[in-house]
Amino acid sequence: MRYKSQKVAREYFVAALLLFLLQVVFGVLGSVKYVWGYDPLLNLLPFNVVRAIHINLLVFWLLLALMGATYYMVADEIHTEIYSLRMARAQLGILLVSGVAAIVGYLFQWSFGMPFLEQPTVIKLAIVVAALLFLANIAITMFTNHHTLTRTTATLLGGMVMLSVMFLFGIPFMSNLSTQYYFWWWVIHLWVEGAWELIAASLVGWALMKVTGVSRQRIEGWVFAEVCLVLLTGIIGTGHHYYWIGTPRYWLWWGAIFSAAEPIPIMMMLVDAARHTLKARTLPVVNTLGLAWLGAGAFVHFMGAGVWGFGQTLPQINRWTHGTQITASHGHFAFWGAYGMLAIALMYIILPEISGHPTEQGSKLGFVSFVALNFSMIFMVMALLVAGIVQVYLQRVMGMDFLEVQNHLRIWFEVRLVTGLIFLAGTVLVLWDLFRLTRTLPPSRPAPEEAREAVLVG
Amino acid sequence: MASTRTILWTATLLSAFIFLGMTADSLRKMGTRTHAAELSTQVVEGKRLWQHYDCNDCHTILGIGGYYAPDVTKSYAIRGDAWLRVFLREPAKMYPTGRQMPNFHLADAQIDSLVAYLKWVSEVDTNGWPPAPERAARTESAGATVFLAQHCNTCHSIQGSGGTLAPDLTHEGSRQTRDWIRAQINDPHSHKPDSVMPSFKQLPEEEKAELIDYLTGLK
Repeated sequence: MRYKSQKVAREYFVAALLLFLLQVVFGVLGSVKYVWGYDPLLNLLPFNVVRAIHINLLVFWLLLALMGATYYMVADEIHTEIYSLRMARAQLGILLVSGVAAIVGYLFQWSFGMPFLEQPTVIKLAIVVAALLFLANIAITMFTNHHTLTRTTATLLGGMVMLSVMFLFGIPFMSNLSTQYYFWWWVIHLWVEGAWELIAASLVGWALMKVTGVSRQRIEGWVFAEVCLVLLTGIIGTGHHYYWIGTPRYWLWWGAIFSAAEPIPIMMMLVDAARHTLKARTLPVVNTLGLAWLGAGAFVHFMGAGVWGFGQTLPQINRWTHGTQITASHGHFAFWGAYGMLAIALMYIILPEISGHPTEQGSKLGFVSFVALNFSMIFMVMALLVAGIVQVYLQRVMGMDFLEVQNHLRIWFEVRLVTGLIFLAGTVLVLWDLFRLTRTLPPSRPAPEEAREAVLVG
Repeated sequence: MASTRTILWTATLLSAFIFLGMTADSLRKMGTRTHAAELSTQVVEGKRLWQHYDCNDCHTILGIGGYYAPDVTKSYAIRGDAWLRVFLREPAKMYPTGRQMPNFHLADAQIDSLVAYLKWVSEVDTNGWPPAPERAARTESAGATVFLAQHCNTCHSIQGSGGTLAPDLTHEGSRQTRDWIRAQINDPHSHKPDSVMPSFKQLPEEEKAELIDYLTGLK
């Protein structure tokens, strides 16, 4: 760590990790409800509240982790302190207060009522304020030292601007449900297949440069091509969400063609990460666990978003699978691979630098949590996939009643609950391990220059 | 490299412009496809209530949302006005066991708005989604379709398929007369004062007759 203000990343990570744990706890609670017949918490904490909290925390913790990593990376790339540490902390405060207020509000039926965007308008406006603070802080930092502005950093800024602009389309109430959902996808799809992909591509590029020593020129060439392809396929690819919501029929063609191409840039990212990760084995100090999260993340991103998404993106298939447990399987796999694993990888790469662990290669506990989290997630999405296939057959083909079908799926929901509990255990372990890395250590052996600076500053 | 960059930039910007153009066209056409002219104050109030109670985090609508409860896109067309009203007033009446919806203690006007909203949604042109189940087309009679549509199988079973809360109807035709079944449908309390079965008096006479034909045929 070279700059004092980069430490703010650690505060973002700590907050993100706590919210991640809470998200998983609510996920387990939701999966318990699928197994229970009658829900004893029906009038206290019904399923919709649990789901709203689960998916809101998902977005909150990922955003906090990516924002924290952005602050660290921008200072690192631009070779300067963050413009305002106070603004960065105020932004974190606003986001945390908004998040907590939203979650408490859901318990009392204070909701906007659109999935993922349940936050009441006043909270959404607070989030916009936080986003503006963030953009201003990052942009001013970048342009104070603009001659060092790199393509990777510019991509990151582009992604963050897109993220903030798209969020605005989720704020108004629209009388027509179809129109409301038309623009809802501008937030949800153009976030995960647009803005977040830009952010992820640039952060992965930066992380690869950092931990593998591969040249900037090579990495940035890839990042540029990936980003263009993400936008080229992803923007019109939104059309695969416009098959059945009251939109014109031509979306069946446009959505199918463009969304079928969406896995291409994701595959490029995988090839890119794999090549560079493998090269890093020859370096004197290898942050093995950080690299493992980065490399495995690229693979799961490809599987969850690319393969699982492609599997049901054509209208002939989507007509049957839309709105079933198959979508739940895809959602879990894609979010975990594309963003969850990236967030953890970035923490494993950045935290040792902030806290002065220059020779960090990964602890035993860290590897155990890596295995527990990833294997349980793979079994979870498999259970949901099988449940979804059975659901499509019984409900959509045979015409059985929804709730009758749910009874037939119980065994798969039980498997999912078990995998959820293992995932929860993995989450506790990864938090334990990452909190170890948040504690500043004095160097026990001659440390590289950067680590020494970190200690002096801290 | 510079030319590749230009091509990629141009293609990306072009796709964004195409997308915006298609958006303008879609929004224009969606007015007709969604019968936007029928978005009365009551329908919009229904949407507001739908969002206020965060129904979408349990139910899907247009296939989007939580997967814990049934999709409601076509629930008005499948269940009908009367069924929805009984259900919204007291969900446990229609689903007495297993997974349940909380009772939101809705006022009459709120129920009217929600039903109007669900009716409007059911008329949106969804390009044929959800697909009609093959079995529904193959049910043995019109009465069997009513039996399934009204969810009688939540409590009653026929030939081992259905719920166990209420009597098995596999041989109903050899046990009860047409009149007895009609009275039971109209007012379950006429035979058993503490019956938990809701009245289906509101069913159209034609559907009632089909249902009675079906049940009396079960020997």
